[in-house]
Amino acid sequence: MKRVLLTLNILLTTTFLGQLTAQEQQFETVMTPAFSPISWERLVNADQEPENWLMYSGTLDSQRYSLLDEINVDNIDQLEMKWAYQIPVIDRAETVPLVVDGIMFITEAPSNVVAVDAATGRQYWRYDHELPDDLRICCGRNNRGVAILGETLFMSTLDAHLVAIDARTGNLLWDAEVAEHSSGYSKTAAPMIVKDKVVTGIAGGEFGIRGFIDAYDAATGELAWRAYTIPGPGEFGNDTWSGDSWKTGGSATWITGAYDPDLNLVYWGTGNPGPDWNGDARLGDNLYSDSALALNGDTGEIEWYFQFTPHDVHDWDAIQVPILADIEFQGQERKVMMWANRNAFFYTIDRATGEFLMGKPFATQTWAEGLDVNGAPIRVPGLFPTYEGIMVSPPITGGTNWYSPGYSQQTGLFYVTSFDGEQIYFKRDEEYEEGERFTGGGGRYDQPMDAFHSSIRAIDPATAEIQWEFPIMPRSSAGITTTAGGLVFTGSADGYFFALNAETGEELWNISLGRRVHSAPITFEAEGKQYVSIASGNVVYTFGLRD
Amino acid sequence: MGFNSKYYWKGLLACGVLSLSLANLSTNAEDAGNLFNTPYDVNQGERYFERQCSRCHGFDAKGNDETGAPDITGRLSRASTNVGVFNIIREGIPNTAMLPVDSALPDAQVWQLVSYIESLRYDPSTVELAGNANVGNTLFSGKGECADCHMVKGQGGRLGPDLSRVGENATPTELMSSMTDPHNDVAPRWWTISVTGPDGVARNGFRMGEDSFSLRIMDNDANLWSFRKNQIQSYERIDQSTMPNYDQLLSESELDDLVAYLFSLRREEN
Repeated sequence: MKRVLLTLNILLTTTFLGQLTAQEQQFETVMTPAFSPISWERLVNADQEPENWLMYSGTLDSQRYSLLDEINVDNIDQLEMKWAYQIPVIDRAETVPLVVDGIMFITEAPSNVVAVDAATGRQYWRYDHELPDDLRICCGRNNRGVAILGETLFMSTLDAHLVAIDARTGNLLWDAEVAEHSSGYSKTAAPMIVKDKVVTGIAGGEFGIRGFIDAYDAATGELAWRAYTIPGPGEFGNDTWSGDSWKTGGSATWITGAYDPDLNLVYWGTGNPGPDWNGDARLGDNLYSDSALALNGDTGEIEWYFQFTPHDVHDWDAIQVPILADIEFQGQERKVMMWANRNAFFYTIDRATGEFLMGKPFATQTWAEGLDVNGAPIRVPGLFPTYEGIMVSPPITGGTNWYSPGYSQQTGLFYVTSFDGEQIYFKRDEEYEEGERFTGGGGRYDQPMDAFHSSIRAIDPATAEIQWEFPIMPRSSAGITTTAGGLVFTGSADGYFFALNAETGEELWNISLGRRVHSAPITFEAEGKQYVSIASGNVVYTFGLRD
Repeated sequence: MGFNSKYYWKGLLACGVLSLSLANLSTNAEDAGNLFNTPYDVNQGERYFERQCSRCHGFDAKGNDETGAPDITGRLSRASTNVGVFNIIREGIPNTAMLPVDSALPDAQVWQLVSYIESLRYDPSTVELAGNANVGNTLFSGKGECADCHMVKGQGGRLGPDLSRVGENATPTELMSSMTDPHNDVAPRWWTISVTGPDGVARNGFRMGEDSFSLRIMDNDANLWSFRKNQIQSYERIDQSTMPNYDQLLSESELDDLVAYLFSLRREEN
């Protein structure tokens, strides 16, 4: 058709025919409505529709690896900003948007969501969640994203509710109270869909809560199962808490997990035991704090656990997104889970059994001499917090933290934002009071942040060896996304969004966005073109290749 | 806690009623002053701070890079009076992560917190110094040659921090050590960087700004330079500060005079 019109244009160049040609070209355009329902099968096969970003970590294995390659190592220098969406509430944006058939869903502080056209950033609808004024939140008014199933979005709210929102209109469908917010519970993380259920965690580890992972019926909001992350009396592991400390032991679940459909296992990390920096009243290993849990996808039963930091007294939550991949390990194909922990060690674990395969430090640490054959830390004695203060590495914020790591199927490398720092840890005596902070101490830095070292590190999961690193200053708290274009996208605290060569770590492209990047990038396709989006400050920026 | 917290709260609630009553009088709370400023109150305020505020503001109240919470041990940018501090604690700062405290928290306990924050500073009039500020002023622009590099109220050099209000944020001890031990604890803004640019020219300058991809310096002629890190040939930090060590250059009494002068440099009262 285009060739015919081109011929006509050449032969007949009158104004009239020119207009006719324009009209015909106009009608040649085929329009389809945006958005279509998301089935569970589509979520399981999310990697096969890379034009969409269907869940927090892109796919159920949380690799954050996209098959899109229109933007690649050869043309990344042609990347330019296409649109920006300004979040009206001024706060720190930790949102990871979803993109579904041309619609982008962006969450905002404190607990709102907006739907925009993914090609232009212009709004379809918004949902503002009403919040009480007696919130108990530890670390800012954050929301990290939604989950989607069918035509419904699911969002955590700061008042510890889970809400279901119509994806076409923003109308509230149901509103489930997950826990009593005035007791110290809150919710910030994106939920994850498993079959017909919404699996979701809880925050409040600094308020003496008892953590859990919940699953709700997506259609009704009814609680389907709850897995407590601290065992109750008579259950295995309860005796790892002295006295009644299990009741207020924290072990929150404030980041999103992963899921293996073949094994029907949900993988989820747990947070620090409470009080954070004083373990005197909670003697024992404090299961299942600072652990990776593998739960049955239908019942929530804990199939296995791996505790990274037994009896933690430094606030080193295992609140990291687990990455699942099948890799060759010592000559065998293994189903593994990769985990760069806040305690500064990287772990490769058999995700079917929980068997420890490999682990080494990936960031500076002084607290352990290493890991034993089972992956348990061999502690350096005498480094628990004191009343006077004691210097330990990593600092409270960890060798890494909750920021999403990435994995590339092209390189087989695991990418993580790392921090080499140290901090003086203090211990204080506190008694639990419902709804009050329950941390038992704190920490302070002895040097300016610029004196420390931060970097993106690429780790070989088969050896736990660092393959390359790209230095960042000052410290970064951004997540990582990889693509089939050979790229690693991430950001930094000084407001850069940038791309590295996934193979070598070479710097390929960067742009200064002016405010802290405190979220993870996504990539998607709209109107046939690949885009990359990132939140910086209070703005979601979207980039594409120059037209 | 070593006491029965239930009764303690009731006691505080009673104090809070008293405080509210005062606030409702025709005079305001500023006139009434903070009634909860005994050493016990400061201690209680500190305990509350460590428990409720330190997560964002740091255990030493010096701020936290990750949370973005500011240092509140020095001059406060959003409040200049105790009442201002009280109101921020009570009401929060809209559209920021600074949330109001629990509305059920008694005013008395908020005042204790105000007292603790106030205790992080001190009344400069209570500080007795050996030196003479007027003599120090003369030394500053004369023999000490301080004004060659430092500016005070718009007069002086650009090759060191503006000292117009240095007395607000530094103790006399800190002021003395900055003159007698200048290479220790240099703020990153005043690190000296040696950078060889794409033109092959090596330049030394103060580190105005540095991030993952770029570097900005000011050289000794106050020229401003900007570099892309992927275009520079080399750069390194020079550990030595450009500030001379005055331990050898001035007498002990002259140093005392300079400290007295610098300590007197603070915001002019309206």
